[in-house]
Order: sequence, then C-alpha cells, then structure tokens
Amino acid sequence: METNTRLVVKVDQDLEDIAPGYLENRRKDVGLLSTALEQNDFNTVKMIGHRMKGSGAGYGFDFISETGSRIEQAAIARNTPIIRDCMDQLTDYLDSIEVIYV
Amino acid sequence: MAAADHILVIDDDQEICQLIADFFQKNGFQVTTSHNSKGLQEVLDRQKVDLIVLDLMLPDEDGLIVCRNLRSRSNLPVIILSARGEEMDRIIGLEMGADDYLPKPFHPRELLARVKSVLRRTRTSPEEMEDNDSHALYRFAGWTLDVPTRQLYTEKGEKIFLSGGEFALLRVFLNHPNRVLTRDQLLAFSHGREIEPYDRTIDMQISRLRRRLNDDPKSPELIKTVRSLGYVFSTRVERTDSKS
Repeated sequence: METNTRLVVKVDQDLEDIAPGYLENRRKDVGLLSTALEQNDFNTVKMIGHRMKGSGAGYGFDFISETGSRIEQAAIARNTPIIRDCMDQLTDYLDSIEVIYV
Repeated sequence: MAAADHILVIDDDQEICQLIADFFQKNGFQVTTSHNSKGLQEVLDRQKVDLIVLDLMLPDEDGLIVCRNLRSRSNLPVIILSARGEEMDRIIGLEMGADDYLPKPFHPRELLARVKSVLRRTRTSPEEMEDNDSHALYRFAGWTLDVPTRQLYTEKGEKIFLSGGEFALLRVFLNHPNRVLTRDQLLAFSHGREIEPYDRTIDMQISRLRRRLNDDPKSPELIKTVRSLGYVFSTRVERTDSKS
C-alpha cells in the first residue's frame, strides 16, 4: 500500500543496532502468517502472535505488541478474517514507520 | 578491575534474548542466552552466573518448575519474565523463589533497573558488613562468635583460636546463612579481592574452618559444599548486638 503519511516512532538509541532487523523479521512474519493460514495452522499463527505481543513494545514498537495480541486471540478463535486484517495493518505499519533513535 | 556481572537469559524467543543481550552488553553486563532449561544447567555447570532472567513458557519445561528446582539448590537471583502477565502467575513465581517478576512486553531499561536492584539486594559488600555487624554476637549450632573481641566460644565456653582469615570467612557465613556463596563471593567478602585462576585460598580456609568447628569434612553439617557453585553455611544463626 502506498502511503504518504510517515509514522514516527522513537526508539531507545541502545537498540539502534537491532531494531531494523527486528522490523525486517516482522515482514517475514507476515509471510509466515499467510502460509500458516493457507494450511489452517492456527497453532503457528498463535505462536507468531504471542511472540510479537511479547517482544514488540520491548523494542519500542507498541503497535506490534498490540497487533500480536489480537492475532493470538484471533488464532485461538480460529478467526481468519481478523488475522488477515491484522496482517494488512501490520504491513501498513511497517511501510509507514520512521524510526528515530533517542 | 571487577568482572562484569554475568546475566543468564533463558527464553525460547530468540528476539527477546537478542534484545536483552544487546541492551545489557551495552550497559556493561556479560550476557549468555539459552532457549531451553537444558541449556540453563549446561551454562551453570561451566560458568559463574550472577543472575538469571527466566521466561515461564519454555519448550522443554515449565519455567515455574525450573525456578523452584533452581531455588532448591542455590540462591542465585532469578527474575521471571512472562507474557502470561496474570497476577496469579506473578504470585506463584515469587512463591517459587523468584526475586522479581516482569510481565512481557517489557522495556529493557525497566529490566535493567530491576536487575541492578536485585543484585544490590542480594549482595552485601564487605564495607557494609563491617558497618553492620561490628558489635554483633552470633550464636549458631552451640557456638558463639563475639565479633568485637574476635573470639569464638564452644558451647562450654571454651575459647577457640581463629586466624584472621578464618574469622573473616566465618563472619561472612554468619552474615549469609543458608545461602550459597561462590568462591568469588567468599574471597571478595572476606579478603576484598577477586579470585585468580587456580586460587585455592578459600578451599583451604574452608577446610581449616571446618576443623575449628569440628565439622566433619567428609560429611559436613555446617559448611556444606554445593557442587559447581560454592559453599553454604547450613544452620540457624541468631544475632544480638553487644552494644544494645
């Protein structure tokens, strides 16, 4: 999705070395989630959501933790539309985020 | 220069491990990570660890059980991390012997503050000890140690000679009863210096102190050896202040 709106997120400068890699891994998560959904593998979806929930805010990305939590809950409910909605939102977030290290 | 505090992180999420390792290393800590409880024991068997950060949801064992087992054999400080975040988990974690509990997600700065706090709490520097017990009278297992006069007495009131090193070591144990102390800690607390490779000072003084206390070295009751860790002074200690 094309967007002109940049979403500025302030991240601890001590995490400057690892935060870009963390965001890159979330892009990979979107692919993994898509594959898992095609296979109705809700356990994997739940596990990915659980890990996003546990780690996102630690790196400074609260939205990732919130989205991970919603994915985890949707996986428990086997609710594919909500999971897909979360994946879209996550992709938008990753496309629009601008990280400033403070 | 003092060695960096060594933090062992047990979490199956590699990105949590990386987050903690990177952040703590930048703040002067040595960090080792493991993704399961088996790895925890392997690290403890070969390295000195100052504090463990333990996730509750491990692939091979429940973190609460790991914490309980750990506490049954050592006093190594433990901070539990968990995405569960329920109050009951926190209570159970603390009851299992954890020193602190932090729900996920957490900010690494908060974890850093908690680690420093727990390390401060679980350590007593020799200087603090000097201030704290310089007028103390300790009673343990029928023995009495009078700190101001540096005299050790048997149950019948007989004086037992202690060398300066033995006195310092006994005083450290009396300050930290029923807590595993590593050789490094014993040497730092009793002599104010760091252990060196092949340094057997503490083991030799332990051996002599056991003789003074009639503690059978083959089956000690007071100063017990904790394999791969150090020693624990295993008895009830009563303390009164001779000033009061």
